[in-house]
Amino acid sequence: MTYIMLKIENLHAEVDGKPILKGLSLTVNAGEVHAIMGPNGAGKSTLGYVLGGRPGYEVTEGSVMFDGQDLLALEPHERAAAGLFLGFQYPVEIPGVSNVQFLREALNAQRKGRGEAALSGAEFLKLARAQADALAMPQDMLKRPVNVGFSGGEKKRNEMVQMGIIGPRLAILDETDSGLDIDALRVVGDGINRIMRGEDKAVLLITHYQRLLDYVKPDFVHVLADGRIARSGGAELAHELEREGYGAVAA
Amino acid sequence: MTTLVLPARNEEAWRWADLSRLPALAEAAPTAIRPEPRWIGLGGPHLVFVDGVFDAAASDPGRVALGAVDAATGHPLGRLATGEGWTLTLAADAVADPVEIVHIATGGASHLPARIALADDAVAHVVETFIGAGWSNRLTAISLGRSARLMRSVRLLQDSGFVSLRDEVRVGEGASHVAIMLGAGGADSRIDAHIDCIGEAAFAEMGGALLTRGKQRQEAAVVVRHSEPSGQSRQIWRAVAADASTASLAARVEVARDAQKTDGEQSLRGLLLQRSATVNLKPELEIFADDVKCAHGATVGELDARALFYLESRGIEPARARALLTRAFVADALDRIGEEKVRETFAADADAWLAGL
Ligand SMILES: Nc1ncnc2c1ncn2[C@@H]1O[C@H](COP(=O)(O)OP(=O)(O)OP(=O)(O)O)[C@@H](O)[C@H]1O
Ligand SMILES: [Mg+2]
Repeated sequence: MTYIMLKIENLHAEVDGKPILKGLSLTVNAGEVHAIMGPNGAGKSTLGYVLGGRPGYEVTEGSVMFDGQDLLALEPHERAAAGLFLGFQYPVEIPGVSNVQFLREALNAQRKGRGEAALSGAEFLKLARAQADALAMPQDMLKRPVNVGFSGGEKKRNEMVQMGIIGPRLAILDETDSGLDIDALRVVGDGINRIMRGEDKAVLLITHYQRLLDYVKPDFVHVLADGRIARSGGAELAHELEREGYGAVAA
Repeated sequence: MTTLVLPARNEEAWRWADLSRLPALAEAAPTAIRPEPRWIGLGGPHLVFVDGVFDAAASDPGRVALGAVDAATGHPLGRLATGEGWTLTLAADAVADPVEIVHIATGGASHLPARIALADDAVAHVVETFIGAGWSNRLTAISLGRSARLMRSVRLLQDSGFVSLRDEVRVGEGASHVAIMLGAGGADSRIDAHIDCIGEAAFAEMGGALLTRGKQRQEAAVVVRHSEPSGQSRQIWRAVAADASTASLAARVEVARDAQKTDGEQSLRGLLLQRSATVNLKPELEIFADDVKCAHGATVGELDARALFYLESRGIEPARARALLTRAFVADALDRIGEEKVRETFAADADAWLAGL
């Protein structure tokens, strides 16, 4: 049975007093994959940060309902516990905190928020190793400090390992495909399908390229331009954009 | 104590110190409040001093001798420590079990001298813990013979009062002196050391982490002097200041004209958890030799907002995210402790401090 997972209505948001999102509306049903494309600076990452609750990204108008609750009323960690996952365009390096420690804390904090028991160290390691294997990430990278010294592609892969461990209900993936080599793109595409395909899950896939959409077939494609959804369509819209560019299609 | 003569604040080496509470603390009487010693449990000799007095019933001193101590100094606080104290002497090639010392203060003042003398190739490990309330003033004279090695770990966990340490160290040829300090209690403190590398290829390290909160003031003032060639020194200090507290780090390296090929590293970093807190950093180099390598860095900053959001976006609560990043900030200073059990205990003390924020 489908239901509305995410409902964004007339969202306005500004950063440092500068309006970036200017009346964005979007509805995502459970079981769907939506691709968001659009020119540089259009506000795609801003949308992800606003949904994630990043400080400094101020909502001035509009509403966002996630699973029937007011997403904007929640703190970032509460949004995560509610099932939201933000895959960063630029994953952050955190020296001195290991990947395993970070992810175990994260998972157990979310479980606590949902009233579930914490995983033991051994249970967690088993889960983490399985996810790392599934995404072809070497085991030793789990022990390394979060993203420190990782290549651009390794950071993106690490985001997907995190998503696999956490198992969110709604993933907003901000250019997870950029920086990936051809093989990694397929591995990550398969990972997204494996982790996020399901009738009680949904994905917002922010991307510039058709390539990833060959692996993760979107149900809808939207063009985000100047802070709004300028056009929406099916999977074929991405092909059209690739052929003709934003200028022609979204104008 | 009849007259307490304290250094004036206009003396450069004491510019960040606030010793104004010491005269009252010097006159304060001990109380009956005696916290239980906090042992790490290293299985070797262990000693308890209560207000500077050896508690034989609670101790097993092993090779550590009690009584008059061969230590003298002109240092304004160190010179107060003239009475009986403890001495660890190791003959050539001796390897001692780790020595654990707990200093319990019940509210009064105590001035305790100590001496660690390691002959050639001897190896020792000494861990000290300060708990309770009052003024604990210590003078520790250390001499390391050729290729001797000393690992010293000191944690300041007094709930209130003042802890002042003065270390005077002579490091012989090829010898290694490593001292790691953790200030994670509620007392004010002054960690003060002069380390003389008097032998060729001597290694001297002193560093650690000072965590301050409330109106607390903690500081470290360390001078390392290289007088012979090919020596190495490291001073890796981290200061974390919350609320309206002040943490100060002054680290100085002196390289004499003959001390060619000296390799000195100073890394002083401060983290302000609130803008109302203060971190003072003063890295100093005084180099008279021409062929030396001395790296020094000093930075003060706040927690990385991007990293905080990254952690929180994965479900970690804000307070915990701040603690994780703060803990990571002090990690490289505490990771220098060689003994795993000691290192983990110090890390747990730092965690406990963070959890109490
Ligand atoms: N702190 C800030 N102050 C002012 N403008 C900002 C700030 N942060 C972002 N912006 C602006 O917001 C706009 C949207 O940025 P955003 O990162 O959301 O774009 P994007 O669609 O993700 O672009 P890209 O495809 O290049 O990733 C840009 O014009 C950017 O310069
Ligand atoms: Mg972007």
